[in-house]
Amino acid sequence: MSTSDDGDRLVCQIEELSGQRVADCYQCGCCTAGCPLGDLMEPGPARAIRLLQLGHARELLDSDGIWLCASCMVCGSRCPRGVDYAHIAEACRQIRIRQRFSHAGPETVTAAACEEIPQQAFMAAFRKYSG
Amino acid sequence: MTTAVAAKPGEQAEDNPVVETYTYYPGCTLYTKAKSLDRCARLAAEKVGFRLEEMPSWVCCGAIYNTSEDDFAGRIGAQRNIVRASALGDRLVTLCAACHNVLKRAQARLNDPANAVERQRVLDFLDEPYEREVRVLHYLEVLKNDIGWEALARKVVKPLAGLKVASYYGCLMVRPAAVLGFDDPENPQVMDELVRTLGGEPTGFDFKAECCGGYLVVNRPEAARVASARVLDNAKSWGAEAVVTTCPLCQYNLDKLRKPGKAGELPVFYFTQLLGLAVGLPKDELGFDSNAVDPVPLLEKRGLL
Repeated sequence: MSTSDDGDRLVCQIEELSGQRVADCYQCGCCTAGCPLGDLMEPGPARAIRLLQLGHARELLDSDGIWLCASCMVCGSRCPRGVDYAHIAEACRQIRIRQRFSHAGPETVTAAACEEIPQQAFMAAFRKYSG
Repeated sequence: MTTAVAAKPGEQAEDNPVVETYTYYPGCTLYTKAKSLDRCARLAAEKVGFRLEEMPSWVCCGAIYNTSEDDFAGRIGAQRNIVRASALGDRLVTLCAACHNVLKRAQARLNDPANAVERQRVLDFLDEPYEREVRVLHYLEVLKNDIGWEALARKVVKPLAGLKVASYYGCLMVRPAAVLGFDDPENPQVMDELVRTLGGEPTGFDFKAECCGGYLVVNRPEAARVASARVLDNAKSWGAEAVVTTCPLCQYNLDKLRKPGKAGELPVFYFTQLLGLAVGLPKDELGFDSNAVDPVPLLEKRGLL
């Protein structure tokens, strides 16, 4: 568990990077309900925002959920409070990446996948996963 | 107006109609893994009565829009394209859903008065004249708004009669709706209208704007497979015989990311392949050999080949 100072500092950083205010969320759960990966994502969008509201930013930054977000923008599109979790997940990934963390880089791709998968997927994935 | 071209009043001579030309941004994938999306679009445009002119010296759009407030560099490739396109005219036509999404959002960010400081820094860095505001248009918007469905219908020589098609928009064509301004983000219509115009039967479809899993295919293919299978199963449940899309990555995830040779799978077309077929492009120009699920048997069954 993070110390509260560390947590508060990180929450501020996430809010600045994402342009979102976590206090705006009233936890209706619409984001997680509509998330196409909501049953695989831990934490899902609503719980992730709740962690930030409580200052537990470190837990979210260390989670798998931020890397499973495909940036499909359904959560933000349906949020009745105008909170865009895709921007928050992006900010979390950016914080990790700026600390030289790489979730998955080009070295993880097989030659066969290179032949098959469209370039846009590699461009998008490596910008999201390793900067 | 008797021609399909939406020329401005006064621009069109009676016996020599002006062929409207659009600056075109193809993007990387359309040069390699999605050649049929590009090729059919260029050839079909000539049949319909407009022309795509590829902008010279375009650069990668970045494939995904970077939402971090301070990350100017993450958006600069896309904005460089916008600035370069501004020297050529006030419109830039896209085909790839990802390029469209990124370019349109990067342009909106550049033009937003709330970002004046960022705009100046970006333009100083680019050091190329930003001549005018550029409207980023998807090819489908050109068909719908500039050509018009009625005029397009008159160009159809092979109606897709009896073909039941689920229109799959995915994420990037419709969200965020405030910037894309393209269609209803929950129940988009433009490709359904296109299918109907081409003589086909658009089916209902609950997951037309649901995510296919996108770039998760790179390192979480199982997650992408779950998401794309859900989309396909829903299309089948509505009686669709085929799916149509405008995104190379959606096409890949729906068409190729499944167990090879599995029976009963739906062909996944680019909308330009169906457009090309309907306006009379020959079969060997339609790129069906690049589809993993062979659409030829279905099209032969419907008497379309």
